[in-house]
Amino acid sequence: MNTCYNNQLEKNDIETLADVGIIMEEDKKSGSFIMRDYEQLFVHSQIEGLEILPIADALDKYDWLRKKYYCKAVPHDKLEKLSQINDDIKPQGFFIHVHKGTKVRFPFNAAIYMSKENIHQNVHNVVILDDDTELHLITGCATQHSINSGTHLAISEQYIGKNSKLTSTMIHSWGSNVKVIPRSGTIVDEGGSFENNYICLRTAKDINSNPQTWLNGSGSSAKYLTIILCSEGSKINTGGDVYLNGQNTTAELAHRAVCTGGQINQTGLLIGNALCKAHVDCAGMLIDAGQDGYIESIPGLKALHPEAQMSHEASLGKIAPEQVEYLQSRGMDETEAISLLIRGFLGADVAGLGPELDARIAEIAELAGHGEE
Amino acid sequence: MKQQNVLELRELCVQVDGKELLHNINLTIPSGEVHAIFGLNGSGKTSLMMAIMGYAKYEVTNGQILFEGKDITDMDITERSRLGISIAQQRPPTISGVKLRDVINYTSTHNSRKLSDIDRIIKDAHMENLIDRDINRGLSGGEIKRSELLQLLVLQPKFSMLDEPDSGVDVESLGLVGELINKLFSSNSIRPAKRKAGIIITHSGNMLNHINIDKAHVMLNGRIGCTGNPHIILERISKCGYEECIRCMQEGA
Repeated sequence: MNTCYNNQLEKNDIETLADVGIIMEEDKKSGSFIMRDYEQLFVHSQIEGLEILPIADALDKYDWLRKKYYCKAVPHDKLEKLSQINDDIKPQGFFIHVHKGTKVRFPFNAAIYMSKENIHQNVHNVVILDDDTELHLITGCATQHSINSGTHLAISEQYIGKNSKLTSTMIHSWGSNVKVIPRSGTIVDEGGSFENNYICLRTAKDINSNPQTWLNGSGSSAKYLTIILCSEGSKINTGGDVYLNGQNTTAELAHRAVCTGGQINQTGLLIGNALCKAHVDCAGMLIDAGQDGYIESIPGLKALHPEAQMSHEASLGKIAPEQVEYLQSRGMDETEAISLLIRGFLGADVAGLGPELDARIAEIAELAGHGEE
Repeated sequence: MKQQNVLELRELCVQVDGKELLHNINLTIPSGEVHAIFGLNGSGKTSLMMAIMGYAKYEVTNGQILFEGKDITDMDITERSRLGISIAQQRPPTISGVKLRDVINYTSTHNSRKLSDIDRIIKDAHMENLIDRDINRGLSGGEIKRSELLQLLVLQPKFSMLDEPDSGVDVESLGLVGELINKLFSSNSIRPAKRKAGIIITHSGNMLNHINIDKAHVMLNGRIGCTGNPHIILERISKCGYEECIRCMQEGA
C-alpha cells in the first residue's frame, strides 16, 4: 500500500474516508483529492492525461477555465444565493481535466470531509472531459462520526466532451445537524454519457440537491440513480432536471428512498426539447413515519417537441408482512428479512450495480433494517 | 423402541381476522411419516399449514402445537424454521429485487452446506436458469413449485409442509416434482430412521403415484373428518365426492 499521505491522516480520518468509499491503496485508483475542513491535504494524479489541481490554482493558471467553464453549468442566480452562506471564504475544491483520448481505467477518489464542529465548507469542483475520454469519479463527503454540526456547500460542474463517459459516484455520510447544499450542473456533448450515482448513508439535518443536466449533443445520455436513507430529524429534497436538447438523447432517472422517520421529497423533471426518450422512476419505502416523517414523490415530464417520448412512474409503500414472514420461514430473523427486502427494493430494476454500490446498498439496508440512524 | 412424534396438534383452534377457521384439530405425525391432507377448497388445509408454520395472521386461540415434544405454540416463524419446520407454499409472494440465489446463499451458509451440494440440488431441480431471478417473479406454476422445493432441499428441514406441490405442474414435470419430494423426505432411504416427516396437501391421485404417503386425512369445514389409507380415501372421494365424507362425518358426530 502506498501510504504517502497516511502520515497526515489519523485513524478517525481513515475510518471516515472508508465509510464513503474512499480507499487508501494508491495502486487501485488513478489519483486522489483529499480536503479536511478548510485544508486541501492531498492533490495527486497518477495517470498521464489526467490533470488534477486545486480549483484556485487552476483558475490562476488557466484563463480559459474562467471564461469558458467556471460557473457556466450552474445557474448564476443559484450561485449568488448560495454564496451568501459564506462568501468571505475563497472557493476550494478540485479541478479535473481529462485530456483528449485518455481513458482512465481506475477510479479517481475525491474526499471532502469535516473533522471539527461548525465548519462551513464552500467547495467548487470543475470536471472537464475532453473528447473521447472516460473517467470514474468517486466523491465521498462526510463528517467524522463524532461531528454533528456544520455546512457543506458544494458546487459541481461537469463538462463531458464528444463520445466521452463520466461516471460519478457520490457517497455522503453526515452528522445529524449538518446542512448540505449540493448544486450540480452537467453539460454533455455529442455521443457523451453521464452516469450519476448518489448514495446517502447517514442523513444530515437538511440536504437540498437539485442537479441539472443538459444533454446538448445528439446521441448523448444521462442516467441518475439516487439512493437515500432518511432517518428522523432529516429533511431531504432530491431533485434533478434533465434537458434533452439534442436529437436521439436518452435519460433515465431512478430515485429510491427508505424513510425511517425523516421527510423526503423526491422530484425529477425531464424536459424534452428534441426527438428523445426518457423515463423517471421514483420509489419510496416508508418503514417508520415517526413524528412527522413522510415521502412525497413527484416525477415530472415536460415535452416541447412532438417526438419527445417520455414516461414516469412513482410508487410508495411499506414492507409487506407476508414477504417478511416468507423469508423468516427460510430461517432469517425479522431484522435479516427486512434488511434483505430493503436491499432488494433499493437495487430492484437497477441494472449493472457494481460491487461498490452493492456494498453501500447493503449497508443502507442493514441500517434501515435495524432502525438505526 | 417407541416411535417419537414429530408433530402433534392438540385441540387446535385457529382464527383469522376474528373468524375461527380451524376447530379442535387433533393430529399426530410420527417420525418418518408423510401424511396427505385432502379436502374441498376453503376447508382449512392451507390455514392448518400456515398456523403450524407460525404466520401471525393465523392466530391460535386454543390448543397446542408440539414439535418433537416441545410446545411451539408461542414461537415465531423464525424459531420454528430454525427448529426444522418448513413450508412450500401454493402461492408464495413475489419479491422484487430479492433473488432466489440470495435465499439459497443465506440458507446454505447457515446450514453449512457444501457449495458442490447446492449446485447439484439447483441442477436436480432444473433451476439453473432461474436462480438469479427475483423470487417468483414471472415464474410459471411449475417453476414456482420447483423454486419452493429447491429452497426446502437446501434447508433440509426435519418436517416439511407442501401445499399442493402438483398444482399448475404439467404431466411431464410431475415426475420431476415427485422425485424432488422423495429426496426431501428421503423416502427411498432403506433406513427408516433417515426418512423425514411431513404433510402434503393435494387434490390429485397422480401425486400418490410418485411419492410414498403413509396416511391421509380429510378436512371439512375446519375439522379433520377421517383418517386412513390414502389410496382408499382418494378412491372413495373420486367415486362419491366429498359428500360421502360429510355424511360419514355427520354420522360419526
